[in-house]
Amino acid sequence: MNKKQIKFAGGSLVIVAAIIYLISAGISKSSLYYLTVEELVAEGSSAYNKGMRVEGKVVPGSIVRKDEKMELTFNLGKNLSFVPVTYTGVIPDMFKDDTKVVVEGTFSSNGIFKANTLMTSCPSKYEASKEEGHPGSKG
Amino acid sequence: MTYIGQLSLQLSFVVTIYALVCYYLGAKNEKYQLIKSADTAVFILLGLMLLTSTALIYAFFNNDYSIEYVYNYSNRDLAPFYKFSAFWAGQKGSLLLWALLLSLFGVIVLLQNRHKNRILLPVVMKVILGVTLFFISTMLFSTNPFEKMMGGVIPEDGHGLNPMLQNPGMVIHPPTLYIGYVGMTVPFAFAIAALIKEQLGDIWIRSTRRWTLFSWMFLTLGNLFGAQWAYVELGWGGYWAWDPVENASFMPWLVATAYLHSVMIQEKKDMLKVWNMSLIILTFSLTIFGTFITRSGLIQSVHSFDETTLGYYFLAFLAFIMIASFGLVIKRFPALKSKNSLDSIVSRESSFLLNNLLLLGIAFATLWGTLFPIISEAVRGIKITVGPPFFNQVNVPIGLALLLLAAICPLIAWRKATVKNIQKNFLIPFIFMVIGGGALVVLLPTFDVFAWLAFSFSIFLTVTIVIEFYKGANVRAKQSGKNILNSFFSLINRNKRRYGGYIVHLGVVCCFVGIAGSSSYSTEKTEMLKEGEEMNIRNYTLQFEKIDYVKENETKEVITAKLNLFKDGKVLRQMKPEKQFFNKQQPVTDVDIYQTIFEDVYVIFSSYSDDLKTGTFKVFVNPLTAWLWIGGWIMALGTIIAILPDKLESSGLAKRYNRKL
Repeated sequence: MNKKQIKFAGGSLVIVAAIIYLISAGISKSSLYYLTVEELVAEGSSAYNKGMRVEGKVVPGSIVRKDEKMELTFNLGKNLSFVPVTYTGVIPDMFKDDTKVVVEGTFSSNGIFKANTLMTSCPSKYEASKEEGHPGSKG
Repeated sequence: MTYIGQLSLQLSFVVTIYALVCYYLGAKNEKYQLIKSADTAVFILLGLMLLTSTALIYAFFNNDYSIEYVYNYSNRDLAPFYKFSAFWAGQKGSLLLWALLLSLFGVIVLLQNRHKNRILLPVVMKVILGVTLFFISTMLFSTNPFEKMMGGVIPEDGHGLNPMLQNPGMVIHPPTLYIGYVGMTVPFAFAIAALIKEQLGDIWIRSTRRWTLFSWMFLTLGNLFGAQWAYVELGWGGYWAWDPVENASFMPWLVATAYLHSVMIQEKKDMLKVWNMSLIILTFSLTIFGTFITRSGLIQSVHSFDETTLGYYFLAFLAFIMIASFGLVIKRFPALKSKNSLDSIVSRESSFLLNNLLLLGIAFATLWGTLFPIISEAVRGIKITVGPPFFNQVNVPIGLALLLLAAICPLIAWRKATVKNIQKNFLIPFIFMVIGGGALVVLLPTFDVFAWLAFSFSIFLTVTIVIEFYKGANVRAKQSGKNILNSFFSLINRNKRRYGGYIVHLGVVCCFVGIAGSSSYSTEKTEMLKEGEEMNIRNYTLQFEKIDYVKENETKEVITAKLNLFKDGKVLRQMKPEKQFFNKQQPVTDVDIYQTIFEDVYVIFSSYSDDLKTGTFKVFVNPLTAWLWIGGWIMALGTIIAILPDKLESSGLAKRYNRKL
């Protein structure tokens, strides 16, 4: 390699390194554990106070809405093994009993999952649902 | 008709194989007759694909619910417009649309190259037909659009089209994106042909320049239409969420953009051959990869799809393409190696290289973030996701660097820039940026460093381009004695490629301004209002009048909230966000947006009381969002100018051909 090529290689390397740094810093800052509700129940108290995304189904009959405060509580999981969830915000259209939802938030030490986003996905349909409470681009 | 559709799909499979065999034997044994017969088969294939598609559309209009696909995506009450678009609402129809477009493009390629590229063409057609064969096979062997309902029962009425897809944006978004995806097959096919036939000059690039630009324009618009649909239909106040499906269409666009820039270096300096080959192979692979990740169910996405075996067909196809194509590149590596080198590290050429690194950086970060749950599960056994904050943290700085680069690139001379050259060119744009940036520090409601940089760099870029146009037009005006406006148009006309490119860059500036404004300065507020009550957001007031209930037809009921929108006390218009109910199921929220070029007032009707006297509303004020859409159209305009026939180019090409002869 001549001197010029070394300069080019060096310059490119610096840029590649900068991009890799951005990626690794971004990953460590913004990554969230992704668990199914069964896994969360199994983890129990060891998962307290950690940010995460949890996927599960809404236990039928467990939904309690307080529309005036835009508050919502429901149980995520199955009848006997579930995690209670509280959420404040606009409720997605597709949200109802027995739908698959993904909540993002923290599992507090009183055993309640405090969700700050609630996403629904409508099974078996193309381009299903991105709803209110979708993690927006305003990160 | 169903029978005809099914039959013509099967026939198209046979015809494609016939054409492939004929091209192979014809080129090998130099039998012109066979190649001619294969060419005819390509036309027949298009006819069969048209017939198959017509049969499916007919089934939709004829309410033929014995077909599972029609049952799932339509019903009797569906408006004709959406019955037509239901064709590509699901994955089976999307595959058919893909095959249809590809067979159409195959015919166009044949017609364009009747008198040229006779060596490359049989291979080009083989690649195009091979890809078509893959799509036809997936339909025949995995997800047949004409599949009958299970058990042979014919339902009275269809399941209906997902109400969210009943939006004009959703009608044009998929075909636009598909035209872009499918169009990229053409430059890819020429690249492979060039590798196989060892025609490693830039003929394959020049022959497909228009195809690449055309496809790129549709990819650009397809992405923007998707964002626009998300904005008006999904009702969460934003337009981009870094969802895997969005990323899947963003990545090929990024790599294609890199390719568009780097081919200029090959044309000018006969360098970067391996790089260009790799970029176009990567672009094409990413179009297939996008379909794979979204259809395999491998990645958790809020868009959910039928999880079928289809994903694995795509994975196998993707592996085949990548191994075969990169294998070819490696085989031809000695011939592809460049004899030239760049003259200086401070030159236009090296800024193109930097542009490529940054674009691929964004593409890689996006890919990494999208695949991270799978990677982390494979490596550490735990699924870890990264959300929009990751993509923003990584891609915003790289994107800003790219914007700055686009701003200074036209100021740096080709080959080697001198300090004097840089000083002279940088002065005026730099002064504008300093003044504008300084003013913004005072004017912006809150200081956001990324938004501020985006606005400042945008000023720099705009001034640079305006100066470029002004200088060029001025010189022409002096030479020809005509007025400056006249000279301005003749300037663009004389070198469409260059000035079209600058116009695309102006469009990019608009997009950056729109993104920076709407992501950094958006305000949101949620309030519950009784009839007659008001809420305030920024300098807007919304007065809640009443809620109306209308039953539109047997399957559709609509609840509309009426709010009067005021700005600084003056009435603007009535906002009518809705909740629509289909088949008495869960509602679909339809937002109302008051859009100006300065800001959008975005009203979501979130819930209501049983007596319809109280409503809860979530309201956003999103500044500058309109500029994202305006920018998209300017980019399209610039691309069209760059595609138009150019005197400079054709005289250049003629010279090259003469020299070679």
